[in-house]
Amino acid sequence: MSLQTDKREFNERTTDGIGNPFMRNAVSSAQDSLKTRRLTAAASLGDWEQWRTLGQQIRQHTLKHLDYYLGQLADNIEKKGGHIYFAKTKEEASDYIRDIIVKKKAKKIVKSKSMVTEEIEMNHVLMEAGCELIETDLGEYILQMDDWDPPSHIVAPALHKDRTQIQSVFTEKLGYTGDESPENLARFARTVLRQKFLEADVGITGCNFAVANLGAINLVTNEGNGDLTAAIPKTHIAVMGMERIVPTLEEMEVLDNLLCRSAVGQKLTSYISVIGPSASGETDGPEDFHLVVVDNGRSDILGSEFNEALQCIRCGACLNVCPVYRHIGGHAYGSIYPGPIGAVITPLLGGYDDYKELPFASSLCAACTDVCPVKIPLHEQLILHRQKIVKEKRTGAVERLQMKTAGRLLSSRVLFGKALRFANPASRLLSRHGRIVRGPELVRGWINTRDLSQPVKQQDSFRAWLDKRKGGAGQ
Amino acid sequence: MTVSGKDSFLNHIASKLGRERIYDVQRPDLQALAPDSYGSLTADELIEMLKEQCFFIHTQVIESNAEILQQTLDDLVAANGGGSVITSGDARFAEYGLEFANASVWEEAAGREQNILRSEAANTAIVFADYALAESGTVVVESRPDQGRALHFLPAHYIAVIEKKRIMLRSTRAAADLNRRIQAGELLGSSINFISGPSNSADIEMKLVVGVHGPLRAAYVLI
Ligand code: SF4
Repeated sequence: MSLQTDKREFNERTTDGIGNPFMRNAVSSAQDSLKTRRLTAAASLGDWEQWRTLGQQIRQHTLKHLDYYLGQLADNIEKKGGHIYFAKTKEEASDYIRDIIVKKKAKKIVKSKSMVTEEIEMNHVLMEAGCELIETDLGEYILQMDDWDPPSHIVAPALHKDRTQIQSVFTEKLGYTGDESPENLARFARTVLRQKFLEADVGITGCNFAVANLGAINLVTNEGNGDLTAAIPKTHIAVMGMERIVPTLEEMEVLDNLLCRSAVGQKLTSYISVIGPSASGETDGPEDFHLVVVDNGRSDILGSEFNEALQCIRCGACLNVCPVYRHIGGHAYGSIYPGPIGAVITPLLGGYDDYKELPFASSLCAACTDVCPVKIPLHEQLILHRQKIVKEKRTGAVERLQMKTAGRLLSSRVLFGKALRFANPASRLLSRHGRIVRGPELVRGWINTRDLSQPVKQQDSFRAWLDKRKGGAGQ
Repeated sequence: MTVSGKDSFLNHIASKLGRERIYDVQRPDLQALAPDSYGSLTADELIEMLKEQCFFIHTQVIESNAEILQQTLDDLVAANGGGSVITSGDARFAEYGLEFANASVWEEAAGREQNILRSEAANTAIVFADYALAESGTVVVESRPDQGRALHFLPAHYIAVIEKKRIMLRSTRAAADLNRRIQAGELLGSSINFISGPSNSADIEMKLVVGVHGPLRAAYVLI
């Protein structure tokens, strides 16, 4: 997979999402339960707003001194006998990882969930090199077994699948013979994956945060698959986006708390680990440790008007409150990064050519901004994108004309009045039972999912009513 | 293939930030910024908090003491269905005079493969916690030659013995102490694990399933 998960037109993808009642139901109930859990976990920490400010300050401080902290990280990893590689592009990153695999003659790879490895298309490169690569996160494993179905949520990637779908994938691909209960399906996956861990030559993980003064990486998980990936194979390759770094364990602790509470409503997830190359005398863990630091477009965001997007800690809380995500689901974004943060960073990493519609997939209600634990002004960044997209004349000619006309009408009292006078008779052909049921693109987009009332008969009725009562308002 | 492309990469970042590279940074003092939501709690209150939190993370808490520790652990191992036990080589096992039938120990001399196989084969792992965090129901353990990483993840059941004096309020304190040790130049284990209960996942229809990769069941014994 790459950044792009679906090459179809945005409209087709959203229509697909809106027409999938199971997915919409799953997304809305996940949103509701995660929201409640998040609120409880946040409240238990007391002054949540102050914790958010602290999270924001830590992220901003680190980004402002990113070269310093990455340099310190590199020195400390080297001191411990590990290797660090700085990749400017996704090709450099994947090539470096492939070179290690080839040099080691590694055939079996276990992997724990990592979005940046998707971004650099690493799976594809390694499988082309003849390796067996297994995703060990349960959700990701389900998607892999289902012919690499794309993820639909940052934290719960297989949210769009129900238990019977999972049962039939396991039956078909792995010879599973049990029922569709989540316990049995998970127990079966445990047995299969155990064997994979024990056989693996190389383990590949992402990295929630690198800890600069320790020369180690931090993994935040609930399943423990990341830890097994970093404990058993002799080689461990960790891959991180270059901005995912903290100065010390103290900052890490604050961000991990914000992350766990915002992502899954837990105070801390089951496993939080800080790991690096094996120390002398230790018998497991990697004898050979590599950290790949990936730029792949991030440095163009650094110092730009979108700089704050780099503060993201990938908790997914913004998805869990977004009304648009609730209706269209994760696949509609066509990116491994869905939801509000996806709509901000996907166009930055992948360009407007493929992703110019995403910043418009928002109601600008600002729920995402209010919830973000590191205070990224998401809705403002979406507006910024929209301004740039319009300025670059990337919106369709028809849409531009429609907007221009609407703008003229709405800003002129005379024209608005005239339009209203004709609105009711003109809309009759398009209406049924007082509701508009047909219309041009702009109208169609609206009536696909909501009602649009037919304009009232009496033109400008409120003004007319007010005029009649002139002087009466204050009496 | 060690530090590769570092300078040009970091120079590029500095130029995007509109300045030259920097080699010295004063990090903000977090202790001054972090709100303290709990005030000061007594040792007993911390224990109560730990117990309450463990209820939510599906982890059994048993109060014991040095005299009956062996019995408590034997009972727990039996409750897990008996079978083989693996312990870390922590000196505290000898200090408390603990011995288990059908047991193996994680030890440097056994080497990677043997230690991993022993852990995989064991029904219950028993370790001592370095720190315990009341607020989140967490034990903190550091890897050492006598306590590998896989020891905490491969056996089917997990028991952590917590000495009450090691219980602290929350992760802030543990992180600060660990960082103090790093800054003092102490070499820590290559893996520091914060473990809060058994392995779990909600990947299938958001339904919580325990024991997806790591232990199926976890218990803490307080002494
Ligand atoms: S933008 Fe904020 S809320 Fe959304 S995933 Fe990133 S950190 Fe979480």
